[in-house]
Amino acid sequence: MVVTAQRGRMDAPTVRPAFVHVLHSEWIKFFSLPSIVLGLAGIILFGVGGSLFLGVTLESSGVPSEFSAERTMADVTVSAVVIGQIIAGVIGVLVIGTEYTSGSVQPTFVAVPDRLRVLSAKAIVAGVACAIAGAFTVFTAWAVNTPIYAQFGLDVQLTTPGVLQVLAGSALYLGLCSMFGVGVGTLVRSTTAGSIIVFLATLVFPIAVSLLPFGIVSRFLRIIQLGNAGDAMSRINEVGAPFLDVWTGHISFGAGSLIAVTWAALALIAGAVVLQAKDV
Amino acid sequence: MIQVRSLTKRYGAKVAVDCIDFTVKPGVVTGFLGPNGAGKSTTLRMIMGLDRPTAGTAEVNGHSYLNLLAPMREVGALLDARSANKRRTAYKHVLAIAATHGIGAARVREVLGMVGLDSVADKRVGGFSLGMNQRLGLAAALLGDPQTIILDEPVNGLDPDGILWIRGLLRQLASEGRTVLLSSHLMSEMEQSADQLIVIGKGSILADGPLREVVASVTRPVVRVRTRDSARLVQAVAGTAVTVTTEADDTLEIVNLDAEGVAQAAAKAGVVLTEIVTVEGSLEDAYLALTAEKTEFSGKVGAQ
Repeated sequence: MVVTAQRGRMDAPTVRPAFVHVLHSEWIKFFSLPSIVLGLAGIILFGVGGSLFLGVTLESSGVPSEFSAERTMADVTVSAVVIGQIIAGVIGVLVIGTEYTSGSVQPTFVAVPDRLRVLSAKAIVAGVACAIAGAFTVFTAWAVNTPIYAQFGLDVQLTTPGVLQVLAGSALYLGLCSMFGVGVGTLVRSTTAGSIIVFLATLVFPIAVSLLPFGIVSRFLRIIQLGNAGDAMSRINEVGAPFLDVWTGHISFGAGSLIAVTWAALALIAGAVVLQAKDV
Repeated sequence: MIQVRSLTKRYGAKVAVDCIDFTVKPGVVTGFLGPNGAGKSTTLRMIMGLDRPTAGTAEVNGHSYLNLLAPMREVGALLDARSANKRRTAYKHVLAIAATHGIGAARVREVLGMVGLDSVADKRVGGFSLGMNQRLGLAAALLGDPQTIILDEPVNGLDPDGILWIRGLLRQLASEGRTVLLSSHLMSEMEQSADQLIVIGKGSILADGPLREVVASVTRPVVRVRTRDSARLVQAVAGTAVTVTTEADDTLEIVNLDAEGVAQAAAKAGVVLTEIVTVEGSLEDAYLALTAEKTEFSGKVGAQ
């Protein structure tokens, strides 16, 4: 039996492996877990399928009398964003949570003792993968719905103002949701608890705060919701709309992006603090 | 080379590892023996940077593990048999670990071959036995061809063939000049595998030295004799320091008098001995003596 690759090597390596190697490792782990691959397929299937459903039922549910790019694009992105935000967030939770539940966290941190390197690599891989899946989803949804909407003169082109921004915004939002999930998963170290938090933040809280009595507190809580930021990032703004209006609850594309980035960043920072402080 | 200095781990009021010092040298297999809960795994996890010490340091080749530039090329560790995701294939599990150090697929296939998992490399880990999981962990530990190998209870779940194989592997790694630290709660395993021995109990080092010296220092050889005339032999060997225990089957166990002394005393008294043998202390006896009288033997034993 041969144990050594290079017999009798006594050299102590002096080169730290590049961060791209850690990214590569996380990339391999990400795509070798069936549940995560299934999740990505789910984003695409529910996103495209939901949008197609809105397209084929357009006539029976009442065709808008006037062309509105905002309305058409909402039909394209709504299922990708509403269902996709939960799946992307759960994928993020799984990326770190499954390491704790399976025990693979130990070889992971033995191989890369710098814990923040591991967390950054996980956030980047999950974020990029979910953003790409999101981009593919909304673009496909637009492509399959365009011939249907064209029958009623309601179709939008990629050159229509705001359309590309909304497609990119939806994809970016799913990427940010996944990064938020990575942060939450690192914080709670449980796939169940992490998934519940993702569900609450993206879907339940935005609905819950909309039920609060009207006032400055409820208005403020409303605009800071992650789910509402996603809504803003996947919607075409009216021309001349304000950046952020607390009283009407209007969130522009830019403000929504900022809010979603903040949520992802706060979750990752909280996760990083816990990861550094606690034993593996 | 592993150096542990004043290493301490407390969980609230509970002290898991209590200010321990030891050095693990290259070229030999060092056993780390102690009962479950003695602090073995916590110590190993602190060496590997997974648990933060409350106080003290643990260094590999003069550096804290956290400061090693390419840790897998210096240290390989098998800390927990169940450390791979059940849904992933063995190959992808090891490939992902290898990727962190830019180690390629060829080396991954090679280490899987070394541990005898090449035929199941593309199967999911969920279907693996405990022994196969141990082999998988060992494959990951060997990836970077490290000079230091740390194995926590590696024989758990291995079949007899696997145990013989791992003993041979540890011997070979040590003979190549590597540092090998092997923890176990199994004394038979230690007796078979280890040259050096560190005994830990309740978070403290109870003994540290060459295995035979550790055993000799806390046990005494016993002369076992058999005679039909045990009453007269007891009288014949009686002395202040001599202890005689009567066993079944006309057998006596005599401590503090060597075989020659016993034989001469018997001859002088005209007692016929049908059997006489010197029994060296076993690791088991040593271990019981160490853990029972912890305070008495808390100092270093052997080559310090």
